[in-house]
Amino acid sequence: MKEFNIVLAGVGGQGTILAAEILGVAAVKDGLNVRVSEIHGMAQRGGSVTSNVRIGERVLSSTVMEGQADVLLGFEPIETLRNLRYASEKTLVVVSDEKIPPTELAAKNIAYPSMDEIVEKINHVTKRVVIVETERLAKKAGSILTRNVVLLGALTATGKMPVKTESLMEALRELAPTKHVEMNVKAFRLGYDYVKKRA
Amino acid sequence: MPESRVLLEDNIGKRVLLLGNEAIARGVLEAGISVVTTYPGTPASEIGDSIAAIAAEAGLYMEYSTNEMVAAEVAAGAANCGVRALSAMKHVGLNVAADMLMTLAYAGVRSGYVIVTADDPECHSSQNEQDNRFYALFSNLPCLEPSDPQEAKEMTISAIEISEKLELPVLLRTTTRVSHTRGPVVYGKLVKPSLKGTFIRDLKRLVMVPANSRPKHGVFLKNMEKAKEISESSAYNRVTRGGKSKEFGIISSSSAYNYAVEAADLLGLDANFLKLGMTHPLPERMIGGFLKLNRRIVVVEELEPYLEMQIKAIAKDYAPNVDVCGKIGKLYFSREGELSTRAAATGLAEIAGRKLPIDFGSIDKRHAEVAKGLPRRPPILCAGCPHRASFYVMRRVGGEEALYPTDIGCYALGIAPPLNVGDIMICMGASLGTAQGISKVTGAPTIAVLGDSTFFHAALPSLVNAVYNNSKVTLAVLDNATTAMTGHQPHPGTGLTGMGSPSEKVRIEKVAEGCGVKYVKVVDPFKLKEAERVLREALQQHGPSVVVFRAPCSLVDVREKRRRGIKIVPCKTAEICTNCMACIKLLGCPALIIEGGKVHISESLCTACGLCVQVCPYKAIESGSAGQ
Repeated sequence: MKEFNIVLAGVGGQGTILAAEILGVAAVKDGLNVRVSEIHGMAQRGGSVTSNVRIGERVLSSTVMEGQADVLLGFEPIETLRNLRYASEKTLVVVSDEKIPPTELAAKNIAYPSMDEIVEKINHVTKRVVIVETERLAKKAGSILTRNVVLLGALTATGKMPVKTESLMEALRELAPTKHVEMNVKAFRLGYDYVKKRA
Repeated sequence: MPESRVLLEDNIGKRVLLLGNEAIARGVLEAGISVVTTYPGTPASEIGDSIAAIAAEAGLYMEYSTNEMVAAEVAAGAANCGVRALSAMKHVGLNVAADMLMTLAYAGVRSGYVIVTADDPECHSSQNEQDNRFYALFSNLPCLEPSDPQEAKEMTISAIEISEKLELPVLLRTTTRVSHTRGPVVYGKLVKPSLKGTFIRDLKRLVMVPANSRPKHGVFLKNMEKAKEISESSAYNRVTRGGKSKEFGIISSSSAYNYAVEAADLLGLDANFLKLGMTHPLPERMIGGFLKLNRRIVVVEELEPYLEMQIKAIAKDYAPNVDVCGKIGKLYFSREGELSTRAAATGLAEIAGRKLPIDFGSIDKRHAEVAKGLPRRPPILCAGCPHRASFYVMRRVGGEEALYPTDIGCYALGIAPPLNVGDIMICMGASLGTAQGISKVTGAPTIAVLGDSTFFHAALPSLVNAVYNNSKVTLAVLDNATTAMTGHQPHPGTGLTGMGSPSEKVRIEKVAEGCGVKYVKVVDPFKLKEAERVLREALQQHGPSVVVFRAPCSLVDVREKRRRGIKIVPCKTAEICTNCMACIKLLGCPALIIEGGKVHISESLCTACGLCVQVCPYKAIESGSAGQ
């Protein structure tokens, strides 16, 4: 593996930062070199957010270049489209179906695009798309707040991640809120099984 | 953030993933720093927050100071009693502390004192993107620049050592991509903090009256000669790559170095690399020697040509024929915004006459097609945010006629439609000062907006000014009982210290009264009618008036309710909703969405604040339950 680049795209409050941290901690557990970049502060208040995870011996910078993502992990459909600049035809896009309409849509009374329209746009760049019913699965796990972990489970099931699944689980157990570890483990499994069943 | 226990682990050689800011906090523990002071500000906040979580257990003292100036003063006091100290602040925070910094450089310190300045290229969360390396040049203080979390930790320790050698404060300058990058960090030995200091009276050294400061200027210029020698032999300044060719020499520092190396690799450029970690004072002889070894020198740095400017001067003495390029003369790299591997590669390709192996142009073009017409998603006030109610009240009362100087904090987001509150915003506390000038010359009703933490940070002198000069302004303090934007740190009004111990709550209304403001009222912004009445009355005063809009930050409130197992029942649109869209048009709350052509309230976002229930002209929104 030369390097492995993941772009996580979502809306402030969806847990992209924690998801990126879990991936980073798992990489360290596997003895890999890793950089995770995140944006805090003002940008987080319900705005578009991205985190980057870069794994690889020679990785120095923490940001992914345009067209160089191996995986685009989309926490929200519109934000996934916004970050397609990091994708190429080789990129695997794992996208959540949880729609968070930007207030601009409501103000202009415009409907949120359908998942079919979203996928069609992603297909302009790459045909490798996995849609995850994150909202349903997270609620099934016990809380919508586990959406980030559902997505991590789904990503792991694609078999593309260069870190061991056990390391990811270990990182998840360490970083999930103490009271909700089991709920998060359940969310991870639900995401994982969801993709496995469809593969 | 990792469990605080992780930072405290006494486990030499352990490799842990840490945020740059957490790595600095670990550096505090490994350097024996015993006093940490800070005022929160992105991208510096997690340094103080990480220390706050462990301070009591680690046996050190930390405080959230009222502002950066006070933070520097407290720390400098301790450091002059022989106790190691660190202050952390964002780049613009150093402007606030600058008065202290410039003369503390004369007085110096008796034990190590590090000032972390976290710069924010690209203004991710800031009002400007000033390059604080110039503060090192300006104040004549040594400056270290880490490029990753591991270096951030090591340099915190080295900064203390250098500070003690020179008896001068040392700047540790990070950027967003260092402070907010996670990377593996290897733990070293913990050094037990020591809070026991002694003050030694030494007027010549510590009392900067003219007779004492005049000779001090010369003393510390001599000291800078010693600093230069430290820089010449510092392991942070080194040739990291010696290419076979002598064509290109690249000089870089901080995260720019990471981009430059990746860019050179991308282009297959055989270049020599000089990495600078101690960037003030620069190692003149070392740079001079490097210049002589190469035909062309490229300086790759973020923001201003701070290094290039000095390297060009060094070249004049050491290698007048070598070509130095970067940002002065021809602009190969932008002075604006963040640098990136792409930007570094684009500049290097042009200099070297190479072709980029990635066709970024076509990637951009394809993306522009896919993303065409995509709705924007700028940061907005959260669902349930009490500021939304306050702004709604201000608009109802002040309308288009009033002017609304605003300030630094979440409430700056009030500028977005449909609330449109905020006409000028410059720096911490400036709303109340600018309001006075605006009101004096326009005669317009003027409502200065600022938050609770900002009130304590920077509004007190201008509040006294308003009373003293009888300015006709209304100060609206949006008091949500926390420093929300930077991650919910406590402040003097919260009754809680950084150490987690209770303290006297400084009451904003009492402060205002104490300053001599005659009209001071506290309102609940969600009680719209009462809040409107009070604000109207405040605007009718002949002198200054203060209205405190008090309601807790909705993020904190919801988190607390969740913790206590209190269920929030969201508001709901009723059958009789006519879809008039008034709620959306008046409030712009993210929980108000359109589904199937109808107004709908998002169950996952709604906090049941009830604001939309009050503004609906048809009484068509059913109250939820906020579980109070």
